[in-house]
Amino acid sequence: MAEYFQDYITVAVFAGFGALLVAAAVGVGWLLRPSRPSAAKATAYECGIDPVGGGWSQTHIRYYIFALLFLIFDVEAAFIFPWAVRLEQLGLFALVEMVIFIVILLAGLVYAIRKGVLKWES
Amino acid sequence: MFDYHALLPEFILGATLLVVLGVDLLVAPRRRWLAGAAGIVGLLAAGVPLLTLAGVGGTREMFAGSYVVDDFALVVKGLFLVAGAIVLLASMSYLRGDRYYEGEYYFLILASIAGAVVMASARDLITMFIGLELVSAPAFLLAGWRKGDLRSNEASLKFFLIGVLSSAVLLFGMSLVYGTTGESTFTRIAGATAAVSGESAFVLGVLFTLVGFGFKIAAVPFHFWAPDTYQGAPLPVAAYLSVGSKGAGVVGLLTICYSAFAGARDVWGPALWVLAALTMTVGNLTALRQSNVVRLLGYSSVAHAGFILVPFAMAAAFEGPALEEAFFGSLTYLLVYAFMNLGAFAAVIAIAERTGSREIDDWAGLARYSPTLATLLGVFFFSLAGIPPLAGWFAKFVMFKAVLGDPGNAWGVSLAVIAAVNAVIALFFYARVLKAAFMDPAPESLPEGAPLSRPLAAALVITLAVTLAAGFYPQLLAFFGEAARGLALP
Repeated sequence: MAEYFQDYITVAVFAGFGALLVAAAVGVGWLLRPSRPSAAKATAYECGIDPVGGGWSQTHIRYYIFALLFLIFDVEAAFIFPWAVRLEQLGLFALVEMVIFIVILLAGLVYAIRKGVLKWES
Repeated sequence: MFDYHALLPEFILGATLLVVLGVDLLVAPRRRWLAGAAGIVGLLAAGVPLLTLAGVGGTREMFAGSYVVDDFALVVKGLFLVAGAIVLLASMSYLRGDRYYEGEYYFLILASIAGAVVMASARDLITMFIGLELVSAPAFLLAGWRKGDLRSNEASLKFFLIGVLSSAVLLFGMSLVYGTTGESTFTRIAGATAAVSGESAFVLGVLFTLVGFGFKIAAVPFHFWAPDTYQGAPLPVAAYLSVGSKGAGVVGLLTICYSAFAGARDVWGPALWVLAALTMTVGNLTALRQSNVVRLLGYSSVAHAGFILVPFAMAAAFEGPALEEAFFGSLTYLLVYAFMNLGAFAAVIAIAERTGSREIDDWAGLARYSPTLATLLGVFFFSLAGIPPLAGWFAKFVMFKAVLGDPGNAWGVSLAVIAAVNAVIALFFYARVLKAAFMDPAPESLPEGAPLSRPLAAALVITLAVTLAAGFYPQLLAFFGEAARGLALP
């Protein structure tokens, strides 16, 4: 068990070395660089173009709902792949199981449509 | 391949969830209560296979021992189904008054109950964790149901943050247990305990698991979220949290301690001794100072978690029948507590609708203008305080009997003394509410309240019947505790 905790020494050394590296890079830069602040340098960096609007812009909630629905069917695909590979060995039982699984997910999609969350008009 | 009979309650609950969603989609908004009615029918239907399984008897193991349907699981599943039905009954009129998201509410409550039902059978670290998450995740949303109300938002956010933190702590503890024993099924963890019992990582794993469940059952010092959450959440949700969610935590603690950590009783016994003593004392003392009835019930449910933990505390010193008695004590306390606490919350919902307030001072003279509600409140509060002949005395009786299983044990006797002092303190704050209701003069202008709705009245009648019957005839609930005690001796 002592070995188990000794493994954490590696983690500690790693964390310490990482912190040291960042401090050294920033610290050396701070020592070497000239300091000439200007208003243009203080603006937010947005891929080189002039920044538009504030930093606290709002994103519409419907992006979140679409992402959520996408995620559900993404996970479904992840389940279907191993199922499809082994389907011939698993037989009818697995087929029925998967149909039930997909029907439950489709019920969720029908629910979302009926509740009107897929309408994109504002 | 599957034992369909044993899994039928879960299948019925799953089908009920889909039906409730369907009903919510298809009916007009003013008929959304049908979704709740469908939920209650589903809960009762899920109870039928429990009866047939109990009739057949025996223990059914599935998935290599990680899902077990035994007498303990049947009793606890039955409790959650009945408690869920009572919560749904108590919710209906409340939701009518709030006028939004009725269907989703029933769906989420049912999902949480399904999680509790899964937990009752879980005999595996991963299955148990999934069950616990299914209990908690819908509850986070339910706590914030009144989204226009700042207090409800506060309740939801606090509950969510603490819930996630406790899940992380619990998972970390489970990972240490798995890492040291190399097993995740409870019986096999118990088998592998002897080889690792002295190792610090295993002890740490057991303690972290206890802390994780400590948050779920709101044991001091992991309780601070509970009163705020109960106060901000809609009242029926608070009732559900104090019985369903807390009950699921207690059930998890019972199975994991008595079966997985059966060989580590010298670790969790003393730890839970401290937790029980602290939880009772802090819960009751803080409840003394509350002016809001819901906060008072919040702290009272914290204190009751302490009483449930009391028999656990002596497990390290007990063997054989005394250990079984301790298991029986905690489980029976939970069974009794569930009904009387649901009753107390149902009475508070009814009185809050009648008086339009949750402050104790505003309930002055309630007995003058609404004697029935005041009497109901008296019955449930005196039962919570443990006054015979109401059900609460029997819960306290088995709890004391369990902790004094070995009368020569100084730790057991001292914990019993702490519990006895706390029972007296508890009587004081329950009686204070009743003094306001029965002895204080009624206000000049009586509050205009809505009449008692039928579903809420049904919830009150059921809980009242059980509270009275189990007090006069304790065998009613003790029978179930007795049937389920076999889990204590692996």
